[in-house]
Amino acid sequence: MTAVAAKPAAGGAMNPTAMAVGVVLLIVILGICWKVSPGLGLMALIGMVVGGVLIGFGTHFVPVGGAPAAMGQAPGIATGVAMLAAGAGLAGLFGGAWAAEQGLVVAVVTGAVGGGLMMAITCMMVNFIYVFGMGIPAASGKVKVDPITGDTQPEFKSQGTEGHGLPFVSFVGGVIGGLLAGGGGTLIYLMLLDLYKATLPTLMKATEAQIMPVAISAAGIFAVGMFLVNAVLTAYNITGTIEGPHDPKFKRWPRAVVASAVASALCGLAAILIVVV
Amino acid sequence: MTVKIEVIAGGIPHTKIMVGGIIASLVCLYLSYLNVVTGTEMFSFFGGLAVVAALIWGSNTIKVLCSYGIGTGVPSAGMIAFGSGVIAMLLATKFGIAAPIVALVLAAVVGLILGYLSNEVLNMKIPAMVQSLTELAVVGAFTLMGFAVLMTGGFTFAALTAGSVTIMGLSLPSYQVSFIGGSLIATAFMLGALAIQHPFNACLGPGWTQDRMLMLTAECGFLSMFVAAVMSFALITTGSALISLVLALIGWGYTYMKYIGLSKRDAASWLDAKPIPDVEGH
Repeated sequence: MTAVAAKPAAGGAMNPTAMAVGVVLLIVILGICWKVSPGLGLMALIGMVVGGVLIGFGTHFVPVGGAPAAMGQAPGIATGVAMLAAGAGLAGLFGGAWAAEQGLVVAVVTGAVGGGLMMAITCMMVNFIYVFGMGIPAASGKVKVDPITGDTQPEFKSQGTEGHGLPFVSFVGGVIGGLLAGGGGTLIYLMLLDLYKATLPTLMKATEAQIMPVAISAAGIFAVGMFLVNAVLTAYNITGTIEGPHDPKFKRWPRAVVASAVASALCGLAAILIVVV
Repeated sequence: MTVKIEVIAGGIPHTKIMVGGIIASLVCLYLSYLNVVTGTEMFSFFGGLAVVAALIWGSNTIKVLCSYGIGTGVPSAGMIAFGSGVIAMLLATKFGIAAPIVALVLAAVVGLILGYLSNEVLNMKIPAMVQSLTELAVVGAFTLMGFAVLMTGGFTFAALTAGSVTIMGLSLPSYQVSFIGGSLIATAFMLGALAIQHPFNACLGPGWTQDRMLMLTAECGFLSMFVAAVMSFALITTGSALISLVLALIGWGYTYMKYIGLSKRDAASWLDAKPIPDVEGH
């Protein structure tokens, strides 16, 4: 068997036709939702699309190093995009879920802070291990000077590597990514929870207090599912590793925004259909 | 065993595994309908067998997809499989007896669109992408539906959301003691996601052989089925849960022994080292 049959040719190029098809698909899905549930359902779907786009866009900020980072040969956190986004976003989602009763704004902000905090702690511990455990300094391989602090980078970069450790700009990127992804995940959860709280009592012929466990659990698992779909699509967009907002790969974000919007709309429509059909 | 794994030069073709996986999962899911026909919960274990069949198929799909070096790690494929699968599966449970078929169709549609998005909008340009993501979404939906059947004995929305608690001999309806209300679905999600992403991740490399990977998948599947069977004690009768538990244990033991045997076959050499070596001179 061939382990690597053909390398993917994923470049930075946009595919205008596919982007247009994506936008049309998004409008069609929104149209279907407007047809089946014009008020509550459409509002929930728009909220979910916004949440999904926030996740997709936010994940681009997170410094993902993958396996090379684990060997100190590339900058970033030493794991895959899906794992990192899931870790940060779900931490935010759970944080936001606790604050669900405080209203939309408070809950979304709580979720964002939860995700950002999770990423800040992760980034700090990653640098602790790089610096004190592996004995390597933080140096970016993609830029000459750190865009935020102005520190020069090439002097600290080892030969034959793409940089290593977690430069300050990557740290800041990680926190911003956690904020956006955590807020987006919470927004999806809240939209679904409100929808289920309003519709499930009549559907299941029970009081709101009785169906709360079902509403919370169903909204939670849908939010987790949509979160993972968006995170993995973004992972496909950046094909493995990214250093943070200063990385040239960051410019690919418009593709991920379109893909996330369509994917969230599609998954969201399924989540809405479960209660309106 | 629901799916027989055989060695053929170069392995079994993927289409054969796919067709076998779809048929075996669907048949097992529908056999669990005997629960309704006979009015018992004894046939819930068919859900677990559907899980194993779907996982074996999904593991081979992950192999096909990840051979292209997608650069995001094998686990991401397992995550998107279940992320899209759970959505299709939950909507499908609304359709009563047709649920497994509807899950197949819905998951295929969701997977198809996700595959198109990754290949065209995100410019991945991987030949196997669209088909693989479609298959993985169906695998995710079937696995979760299998777990739902294993734990609750049914695959309809009503069966998954309503349970009952017995307080002082009185049976009261409770939505908390259910597959969805009790968030058992989250555990099922992770049990399945781990079981689908682990085998190829563990077996990949130049020494990859198909039968060894698929045997490991079956082993992971039965191990997940065992955990799910333990959880099913809360929702179905003790006797029915015991049947699932014993079947899972037998299946796990059998596949584990076979897997160790296949690993020995594929290894360059094998030293049966003991955990604590005997020190000479005692």
